[in-house]
Amino acid sequence: MQGQSLDLHAVTVRFGDVVAVQPTTLSVAAGEFLSILGPSGCGKTTLLRVVAGFQPPSGGRVVIGDEDVTGRAAATRPTAMIFQSLALFPLMPVWENVAFGLQARGMGRSERRRRAGTLLELVALRDYADRLPGQLSGGQRQRVAIARALAVSPAVLLLDEPLSALDLKLRQHMRAELRALQRRTGVTFVYITHDQNEALAMSDRVAVMNRGAIVQVDSPARIYAAPATPFVATFVGESNVLVGTVAHRDANAVLLDTPVGRLAGRAVNGLVAGDRALAFLRPEGLRLGAAQPGDITIAARLESVELEGPTVSMRLRAGSMALHATAPNLGQHPVPGDDVPLAFHPRDIVVLPDGELAS
Amino acid sequence: MNRLVATYGRTLTALFWALLLVWLIALVLVPTGMMVESSLWRMEQTTAEAQDSLDIDRLYNDISVAELDRSSAIGAKAAQLDAKLAAMKRQVATLEGREIVPVKVYTLRNYLSMSGLHVRVFVRTLFYSALVTLLAAVVCYPVAYIAAFARSARHGALILLALLVPYSINELLRIYAWLMVLDYHGLLNTLLIRAGIVPADDPIRFLEYPGSVFLAMVYAYILFMVFPLYNTLTTLERSQIEAARDLGASAWLIHRRVVIPHAKPGFAVGCVMTFMLSAGSYSVPRIISRGTGGDWFTQLIYRQFYEAHNWNIGAAYAVTLLLACLLFIALVMASFRVSLRDIAR
Repeated sequence: MQGQSLDLHAVTVRFGDVVAVQPTTLSVAAGEFLSILGPSGCGKTTLLRVVAGFQPPSGGRVVIGDEDVTGRAAATRPTAMIFQSLALFPLMPVWENVAFGLQARGMGRSERRRRAGTLLELVALRDYADRLPGQLSGGQRQRVAIARALAVSPAVLLLDEPLSALDLKLRQHMRAELRALQRRTGVTFVYITHDQNEALAMSDRVAVMNRGAIVQVDSPARIYAAPATPFVATFVGESNVLVGTVAHRDANAVLLDTPVGRLAGRAVNGLVAGDRALAFLRPEGLRLGAAQPGDITIAARLESVELEGPTVSMRLRAGSMALHATAPNLGQHPVPGDDVPLAFHPRDIVVLPDGELAS
Repeated sequence: MNRLVATYGRTLTALFWALLLVWLIALVLVPTGMMVESSLWRMEQTTAEAQDSLDIDRLYNDISVAELDRSSAIGAKAAQLDAKLAAMKRQVATLEGREIVPVKVYTLRNYLSMSGLHVRVFVRTLFYSALVTLLAAVVCYPVAYIAAFARSARHGALILLALLVPYSINELLRIYAWLMVLDYHGLLNTLLIRAGIVPADDPIRFLEYPGSVFLAMVYAYILFMVFPLYNTLTTLERSQIEAARDLGASAWLIHRRVVIPHAKPGFAVGCVMTFMLSAGSYSVPRIISRGTGGDWFTQLIYRQFYEAHNWNIGAAYAVTLLLACLLFIALVMASFRVSLRDIAR
């Protein structure tokens, strides 16, 4: 198995007057794990179906390796898809499910059986070859679907939210397994999800999609720490949003007048004094109590405290602003109703021009 | 039972059970039971005894005629008739004196007395019914598939509606429509004559070919194959077909390994319905062949009841057909590896 690169050139999908996918250009390197993250209805599944060959694009080109596959049928593309419902064949035993793609390629029965055995070993299901899919657990079915897709030696594996039906524990386990499998096989993975944790945990790069367009493609760390738009800042992780007016901007920093006072943040292009702008602060960037050098401190009232296990989640009010802060659970919790000093460092503030937020 | 009581209360539960019982008794047990019962006995009489009974019937007939004549006769003629009447009445009395009332005897002979010709008709009926079923399955599968996987639900509904339109007309009228098409000077022959393919004075006698009954029967019962197939096909996830396509399968492989196996319960229900309706059809062979083609077994049953007046033999024939149909159902379910539970789904 050898992964190949995937290139989308201005791929567009229109259903009548509705534009499901805006002209989208995206490059995925061979052997890369790329997640496409977006809310439901953002066009991510449609985009995946274009790559798989189920949805002819209204415009643009799909290139895999150095071959243009835009006009080719799904059956002849070097891609394999894992469906959200898995779409296992319920009446075939597990090994025949896995070997189905090999049968389609005209391979003999005994050879198919042998290859299916090898693939089932890869996903640790060798002993289940003769069961029916209905007799397996959710996680096992998942692995059958993966083996079935890998059986045809795809250059690009397309995954359409395959973990969404599993419970939390199993999902976390499968994430690690998928990632390990991808490293081992070297196949290019394009993974569709609306779950930011999944996208951040597994991917080499994440493409965030909204309203049919990709708004940012970056490493998980950059997506989280340096969101490009207000949508990304609020869709990926949680952010406190402060609406402000630009007071001053220079090459390195921007000064913003907000309801909690004047804040300094990293500069962004395109903002001039007087503009409306948004400041984003992650809950973990807000600290109660002792200020560190360079911190900004504001006065706030603690309204409620929720224990979330490893962390404590706190709702605060500073003037007219409701704020959310989280802190490691160290066993000592502040009492709701107290007036507390709230500190944060300017480098944790992300300032962006006004724009659409994730709902 | 307890669950029903808990959900619906005693009164409603009792009503449910009462309705179920009435259904079973009135629609299943009584008619089938009566048919089976009368197939198991016959009135036993020797030939001579039967001749006596016939003679008595004929004499009573003659007496009535003579009495009618006597009421308008006068003079010598009247005296002559009186003498004749008296002689006939004496004869009736003698015959009635020695007449033995036939006894009801339970026997399996009704089942064993089928003539060679009737056995041939029976086998022919089953064979053609199986053929009708097969043809219906072959024709209906693509139609049901297209309707089930139409581009939109509205598309599929329109296709089904179009299929359904002819079936909103009475069955007899539909068959007569075929009669008008196939008749000696029907639509088909008219067109052939106009086209100069067939001479006007010697049209093709379509109705005398057994194939015509066969065709009309396919037409009459084909819908009973479409709907069960359509129903099971709509439960097939579209993504299964896409997954198969994605893995590189040809259309043939997709249908053979994914779609047809899924549709098996639909095939089973459709085959059972089509076969039972064809084997039990009376109107189609009666109207289309009008006695010119070969008989259908149902026509033999009809004649046993209403022309030979031998209800016991008729009942035995009917039960034989019923058993053949039950055997066919068992065979179909075994060969499709479908259980009753799959069908009830």
